[in-house]
Amino acid sequence: MAELSNEEIKVLIEKSYNSRTNILKMMKNGEGHIGGAFSALDIITVIYNHILKFNPEKPKWKDRDRFVLSAGHKVLALYAVLADADYFDEEILWTYNNFDTRVPMHPDEKVLPGIEFPTGSLGHGLAVACGISLSSRLDKRDFRVFTMLGDGECGEGSVWEAAMSAAHHRMDNLTAIVDRNGLQVNGTTETVMDSSILEEKFSSFGWEVRTIDGHDFNQIYEKLSTVPFVSGKPSCVIADTTKCKGLAFGENKFEFHHWHCPAEEINNAIELVQDQKEKEHSKIER
Amino acid sequence: MKDKENNIYDDPRKIIASALVEAGDINEDVVYISCDSSLGASGDPFRKKYPERHFEFGIAEAAAMGQAAGLSISGKVPFITAYLPFITYRCFEQIRDDVCKTNLNVNILGNNCGFSVGPLGPTHVVLEDVAVMRAIPNLTIFAPADGPQYKAAILAAMDIETPVYIRVHRNKAPRLYGVDCRLIPGKADILKKGSDLTLISTSSMVVQTLLAAEILKERGIDAEVINMYCLKPVDDEIILNSAEKTKKVITIEEHTVIGGLGGAVAEVLAGTCSAKLAMIGIEDQFAVVGDYKQLIDYYGLTPEKLVPRIEELGKRL
Repeated sequence: MAELSNEEIKVLIEKSYNSRTNILKMMKNGEGHIGGAFSALDIITVIYNHILKFNPEKPKWKDRDRFVLSAGHKVLALYAVLADADYFDEEILWTYNNFDTRVPMHPDEKVLPGIEFPTGSLGHGLAVACGISLSSRLDKRDFRVFTMLGDGECGEGSVWEAAMSAAHHRMDNLTAIVDRNGLQVNGTTETVMDSSILEEKFSSFGWEVRTIDGHDFNQIYEKLSTVPFVSGKPSCVIADTTKCKGLAFGENKFEFHHWHCPAEEINNAIELVQDQKEKEHSKIER
Repeated sequence: MKDKENNIYDDPRKIIASALVEAGDINEDVVYISCDSSLGASGDPFRKKYPERHFEFGIAEAAAMGQAAGLSISGKVPFITAYLPFITYRCFEQIRDDVCKTNLNVNILGNNCGFSVGPLGPTHVVLEDVAVMRAIPNLTIFAPADGPQYKAAILAAMDIETPVYIRVHRNKAPRLYGVDCRLIPGKADILKKGSDLTLISTSSMVVQTLLAAEILKERGIDAEVINMYCLKPVDDEIILNSAEKTKKVITIEEHTVIGGLGGAVAEVLAGTCSAKLAMIGIEDQFAVVGDYKQLIDYYGLTPEKLVPRIEELGKRL
């Protein structure tokens, strides 16, 4: 079984919590989708540190693995991770919410290296990822395609159209990760639009499905490093996560989907995130 | 009207079928996407010759358009086709966000524009697509008038590295152009020179307009006829030059008068030209059910019905 060493996990904790801190620093410039960014952050951190084949100096390298963030509003997490992966200078992060910024609230592939596709309107990314997956077949390249959806996003019919196509066309170089934090803008997914049981839905659409704790670095790594789970089938990883993970007063609150943060709370939030980082480290040391 | 006298009528679907194969021969990145329609109409020869480059995405146009975008951003040149309303309205946001915002070489064939399939009723008879699609940045819109123009549209769309929407009429069209004609974005053609008024038409209405112009000439009105085969961007220069000359412009389209060809011409004339403009098309309504001939007669778009309307408008302008 693929496993990370304690040292590797400590590096991941350091990176993911520093990314959370950077996101909060960005939000000194105003509101942002912190809840989904923090729920997705541990997964995206593992993806860019242990899973994807990429070269930040050649962001359009044809053989790179692709990561399409279908739930584009989580992009604060991706920005922080891409900066850490040396795709661009960290200084760009501090232009968030500025006029004509290269790090807008939804990603723009034309202005920032590392962004594969502009997303933001939900339900688009999985189909785009399918198209990219099919191109690898035509070009006889062996890159893989990963995409991340939100569980609320799974209310979009186009997600299921694409899910059907992925299985029909046997896209086994495609992995969809669902960041199942259980909350969306208007409340819990259960009350807004019950998308459960996602495992059964994806499975019945022809995908090979695994469920993980989306904040357990080893589980994330183990599953994502062993795709495809079954040859000839697309892989789906349902990741149970905590919305706004790492910021104590925001965790599991749908109000933190899009936080209009008072400026005076940011430094306190950063301190809380750093406290949480130390707790995560101490868990590993124990 | 080069070959009209020879009575050569081309089936747009057959022309497109062979043009797609030709595009596939020229460019190995060309792929063809169907959505459980159009194979029999225009896709089958491509599928048979290049089965690995044909993708069937079923009755799921939103995901099909997204997949086209994914293929295109990876270097492929997709032609995606289905019945017009399904491959425009159903997946409108995917066209806007995934294809046009990204400015990809995705080529959308909207089959059966205008009254092509009148008996199917207003779910299938779309009279607003130009208005809707024209509003999206980066999108080029072609509305060919005859067989050679359909072929030229396919080959031009392949070469244009940005998104193209091609309106495909079902009716066989008399040949107006030579077989090697080209379509150029932002250009139009003067098919008949005239000095009394300007008739601007597009798609299937071009031949009706030319026939009307012949009758008008016999009745002492010398109309200039322009084929606006590119509905976005339109040919500003040809519109303004003709309008300055005749001072009277009438647009004729098998489409609502809201936001289509007439709207595009109005946008060019507004504030820059003293010529007066009238629009002939379908008023703000869903189409009644009927076959093509019945419908263009009902809506006053036959040459015989166009002539008195043009004469009347010509007096008022």
